[in-house]
Amino acid sequence: MKPLLRAVNLSKTFGTLPAVQQVSLEVYPGEVVGLAGASGSGKSALFMLLAGLYVPTGGDIYFEGRRLQCPFRARALGIEIIHQTPDLAERLDVTSNIFLGNEIGWPLVSKWLKVPNRRRMDKEAARILAQLDVHFDSLHEKVTNLSSEQRQLIAIARAMIRPAKLIIIDDPTLLLSYSFQQKLLSLIQAWQSQGTAVIFSSNNLDHLLAVTDRIIVLRQGRQIAEYRTDEAGREEIVAAMVGTTDRQQLTPIIWALDSYYRAREQAEKLRQSQLLLERDLASQDTLKRQLIDRLAEQINALDSANAALQDAQRRLLTELEQERKHLAREIHDQVIQDLLSVNYRLEELETGEVVTPALGAELADIRNTIRVLVDDLRHICGNLRPPTIDSLGLGAALQSYTHDWANRTGISVTLDLDANLGRLPEAIELSIFRIVQEGLSNVRKHARASTVQIGLRHTSPRTLMISIADDGQGLPDGFDLSTLSAKGHYGLLGISERVALLGGRLKLQNQAGGGLLIQAEIQHPRVAQSGGG
Amino acid sequence: MVYPEPLQRVWRALIGRHEVVVFTLVLVISAFLSLRTDTFFTWSNLSNISRAFSWIAIAAFGESMVIIIGGIDLSVGAVMALAGLISALCLQHGFPEPLAVIAGILTGGLVGWVNGTMVGRVRLPPFIVTLGTMSITRGIAFGLTGGWPVRNLPQGFRALGQYDLRVGFMSLPLPVIFMLGLAFLTGLLMSKTVLGSYIYTLASSERALLVSGVNVMQIKALVYTLCGVLTATGGVLMTARLGVAAPTAALGYELDIIAAAVIGGTSLSGGEGSILGVLLGAAVMQMLRTGLVLLGFSAYWQTATLGTMILAFILLDHWRRQS
Repeated sequence: MKPLLRAVNLSKTFGTLPAVQQVSLEVYPGEVVGLAGASGSGKSALFMLLAGLYVPTGGDIYFEGRRLQCPFRARALGIEIIHQTPDLAERLDVTSNIFLGNEIGWPLVSKWLKVPNRRRMDKEAARILAQLDVHFDSLHEKVTNLSSEQRQLIAIARAMIRPAKLIIIDDPTLLLSYSFQQKLLSLIQAWQSQGTAVIFSSNNLDHLLAVTDRIIVLRQGRQIAEYRTDEAGREEIVAAMVGTTDRQQLTPIIWALDSYYRAREQAEKLRQSQLLLERDLASQDTLKRQLIDRLAEQINALDSANAALQDAQRRLLTELEQERKHLAREIHDQVIQDLLSVNYRLEELETGEVVTPALGAELADIRNTIRVLVDDLRHICGNLRPPTIDSLGLGAALQSYTHDWANRTGISVTLDLDANLGRLPEAIELSIFRIVQEGLSNVRKHARASTVQIGLRHTSPRTLMISIADDGQGLPDGFDLSTLSAKGHYGLLGISERVALLGGRLKLQNQAGGGLLIQAEIQHPRVAQSGGG
Repeated sequence: MVYPEPLQRVWRALIGRHEVVVFTLVLVISAFLSLRTDTFFTWSNLSNISRAFSWIAIAAFGESMVIIIGGIDLSVGAVMALAGLISALCLQHGFPEPLAVIAGILTGGLVGWVNGTMVGRVRLPPFIVTLGTMSITRGIAFGLTGGWPVRNLPQGFRALGQYDLRVGFMSLPLPVIFMLGLAFLTGLLMSKTVLGSYIYTLASSERALLVSGVNVMQIKALVYTLCGVLTATGGVLMTARLGVAAPTAALGYELDIIAAAVIGGTSLSGGEGSILGVLLGAAVMQMLRTGLVLLGFSAYWQTATLGTMILAFILLDHWRRQS
């Protein structure tokens, strides 16, 4: 497939300040390319070049194989641009701004002598704004009087009035509230499914991870790295963005951070202290330098050990699951079948002529014991490896498990599953199943609850929120996760480890009305939506 | 005195419309001159005044479009002279009259296009560009004729400026009919079409147009070209009326034309103005000129009065923006 847009060695210098240096990129139809970088990394300047508004100092831009003469009118080529801050015509109203440059009217032949058809434009504008879930009191209101968010939404609506080949989006989320940010993300996915290419920059790494196919990292105007989103780790991207090459050094910190913003802040601080340290070092005597070097080596060794430990634990869990699967199969296919065949032979004996009534009663008793044994073994198998998870998926496995659990414990369970859950990778499905299993086991042992609510919902297309809420006694005062293992309680600890290994976030809190709420947010790679769920 | 609320609203809306202010001014000046002189309120005088401001008004339609996009065209006076001269020279060389008129108008269009391209594409300041083309155009007019006027223009051509159309008891000069026709067309262009909307938007939101994919350079070039075409039309009508094409014709008319636009409510900051306002502005200006003559003032005072009027209306515009 030929690239839709190709930029070759693109550079832009303002005076002596290089804003973009030798950036080359290709975007294919139906592909979403993310652009990550700290502020001042040259993202916006690159966007202005790709939008045809800046003339590059060096390099070329090709669109559909044709070399473009800069500056160019992007919209005439089928390129729509959504800027960080919207450029609107202040004296015009909402509708006129949405249709600016694309007015509907008569005669059709002349673009400039056209008399705009206000009614049709208003109708069309209302339709597009409804798609964005935004409402204006009047479409005839001048945009000067509107809020920044409303103005940004008008700029987004402008990009939607006709099908585009490429949509360039320069982090408009700064001006948007959470719900509209999510709306924009789902719009990007809709555009992608229609075959439109999208270049999307955002300061929020979660947004990039949620919708892009590839992520290009810029730093100080240079193209530092490129990742396939499904294979990229958050820490890798952040490391590229902030310029720390030593991944081992960054990993444990990133692990602890629950958002990109904090990661960036911390990394900046680290870099600054590193700089200060280096400056200090230059003026220090050799002995001190040696000491610090040794300290740094030890820290590095510790970091490696830490990373190795995490790897080992991940492997251990996988092997444990494999082992459980194997064991469950052994018991099911071998032991249970053998027991059933013994039962059958006993039944034959029981109906035989040589059996006395006393022996018959004894045999019936033995057969009853075997049945109970088989039931118990089946239950153990189910715990070792949920039987439905491989064939019918997580949703069915959870339904079956919670139903059995409720019958067994007498605690009522409500299960709220996302309609678009689909099939996730095996490891993730199993982990989620285990998290719910551990959570329920925790409820049974400690909570003294009468009802449990389990929820499994997508908070973004690639983020899943697992919540387990009970109406029991909640966490005791002064609860500390790290002291649990000393007391031999591994339930909540197991959940927290599983969530950490999946790169997710865990929140434990007492609810206002009593009871514990466990929330785990887990990212998962893009998966095909199966029709059956 | 307190008026009821709806009346106050109508009053405020009327005061808010610049055209109403200028129209009132036209009425006041007419009333004053009718009372002070016997000759002002005669049909022939009114017909002469309207004929005399018709070419200024036609050029001012173009000038106001240029000012609305945030520019200025100082070459209008020289373009009027050159356009008339080119038409006259064509006639002298035996060209048929329609062709000669078209040649004159195209000359104006060409100068306008050069202005527009320099301002739009090369991004030079319009003041400097049009000051340059003013000089060049006037220089060509002198160069072509060696400084001498072209006389003996054919009757058919002169009729364009001198013929009066009789409608009932009134006789309407042909240039006035052209002016009204062009006012209608440019008014339609500015108020109804997409181009008109872009022209009003350009001064304040050029970047918004740019990112919306509107070819701003082309609009600028087109507006200056239209200004050139309209100004040249005025120039040809003026030459037809005078019956002689002099390279010195329309000297200093740029001031009159800009004054007509500004008095008519065209804001020098761009983005505001109307063709009806410009028409009334041109009328006010010509009435002032004629009035001063009728009242017995020396012609030298006319320029000073005109300058004062321009300043007064710029001040008015400034205060209105501040409030």
